[in-house]
Amino acid sequence: MKIRNKKISPRYIVLAIIILLVVVLIIFSKTLKEDRNLNTVESLIKDTVTFGEKIILTPFNYIGSLIDDFKNLKDVREENDNLKTSIERIEAIETENIELRREIEALKKELNIDYVLTDYEKLNATVLSRNIGYWYNTITIDKGSYNGVEKDMVVVNSTGLIGKVIKTTTFTADVRLITTSDTNNKISVSISNGENKLNGLIKSYNYDENKLEVEGISNTEEVNVGDKVYTSGLGGVFPSGILIGTVDSITTDEYDLAKLIKVTPSTDFDDINYVTILKRKDKTE
Amino acid sequence: MIIAILSIIVSFLLDVFLSNITSYSLNSPSWFSTIYTIVILFLLFPYFNNQKKYIIILIITALFFDIVYTSTFLLNVVIFIVLYFIVKRLNFWLPNNLLIANVTSLIVIFAYHIISFITLNIVNYNDYSISLLINILIHSIIATIIYTTIMYFILKKLYSFFKIKQIK
Repeated sequence: MKIRNKKISPRYIVLAIIILLVVVLIIFSKTLKEDRNLNTVESLIKDTVTFGEKIILTPFNYIGSLIDDFKNLKDVREENDNLKTSIERIEAIETENIELRREIEALKKELNIDYVLTDYEKLNATVLSRNIGYWYNTITIDKGSYNGVEKDMVVVNSTGLIGKVIKTTTFTADVRLITTSDTNNKISVSISNGENKLNGLIKSYNYDENKLEVEGISNTEEVNVGDKVYTSGLGGVFPSGILIGTVDSITTDEYDLAKLIKVTPSTDFDDINYVTILKRKDKTE
Repeated sequence: MIIAILSIIVSFLLDVFLSNITSYSLNSPSWFSTIYTIVILFLLFPYFNNQKKYIIILIITALFFDIVYTSTFLLNVVIFIVLYFIVKRLNFWLPNNLLIANVTSLIVIFAYHIISFITLNIVNYNDYSISLLINILIHSIIATIIYTTIMYFILKKLYSFFKIKQIK
């Protein structure tokens, strides 16, 4: 029996490519979801490679930090004077802290709030890599499930909110930055001008202007440029009281319907080297 | 083969190292940021006579890129394979010299960003604007050209030093 070599019609090739593309996109729409956990093999590879990278890059990072230290040397005297003044105030601050803690407990009971910022244990971590591949808006840190890091834990630094943990391996974790226009994960915020506290939601991040956009505030007349924006604690993921930024301007959305508040983030996302993970303390502790 | 693997490892490490000292953020990328792993991977293409070996190296690198850097599943493997076909066509049409190597690197980096941009927008991973894509493409040019030029000469010197014409 002879098998004839038939030439495949270009129409079928195009059709096959389209079907393949659709299938690939369906797979990606599932796998690119934040809630996908890394499997054991992925976790093992990531941990091993990251550990290797850490060892190889240690001398280079050490030289980099030495250069930074040298640059900072000229500010040491001034810093030393400031620290001396701070030490003198420590005792007074400690007494004040005890009183404040007592007040917080009383207020929590009265307002029926489960967790505030002081209910979180702090775990420091170093940034291993920042947003390689550009489009994922994540950083990788050197603490993972072994250190008790879990998905959805909040990550901050000394200047404010950074993001939340989206994936963990045994020794690393991926943190998604708040500078992501993620409509599925809106952050509840409150704007405080000293007298009033107004609640809203971070709608998106404006990449062109480097501003966070807050929506849902009905009375924008009470908001002033320069007001501080904090997490409100509503929504359950982010505890209340973490600084996000300051109000830059008050405008309307593209349809001229709703008021939009543009916020300058307090954190410089181009210069994150060390972060703090907020681990919720066990209630029984 | 060892030279090829070593240069890929060095570029892979360079991506991490430079991400910590230059800005890799979407809104304000540095003028010296590119994806070094991709640049070197396709710069090595003309040195491979054995396409099967090249594809295996390409897929392994893409898998590592997926797992270690982007925490995605097969996304970079698919993109790298698409880029492979683009580079294969370009190498078929064009000669191998410094200018063409730079043009190819730029095309590959641009294609990587464009495909990532389209895919991530389609699957609703994020809502990115065209201006953001253009900004990243423009900011990738300088580093891509510098790294391609440096590595083009290093690879040429190394391969001529060890008297290797192509990897069989």
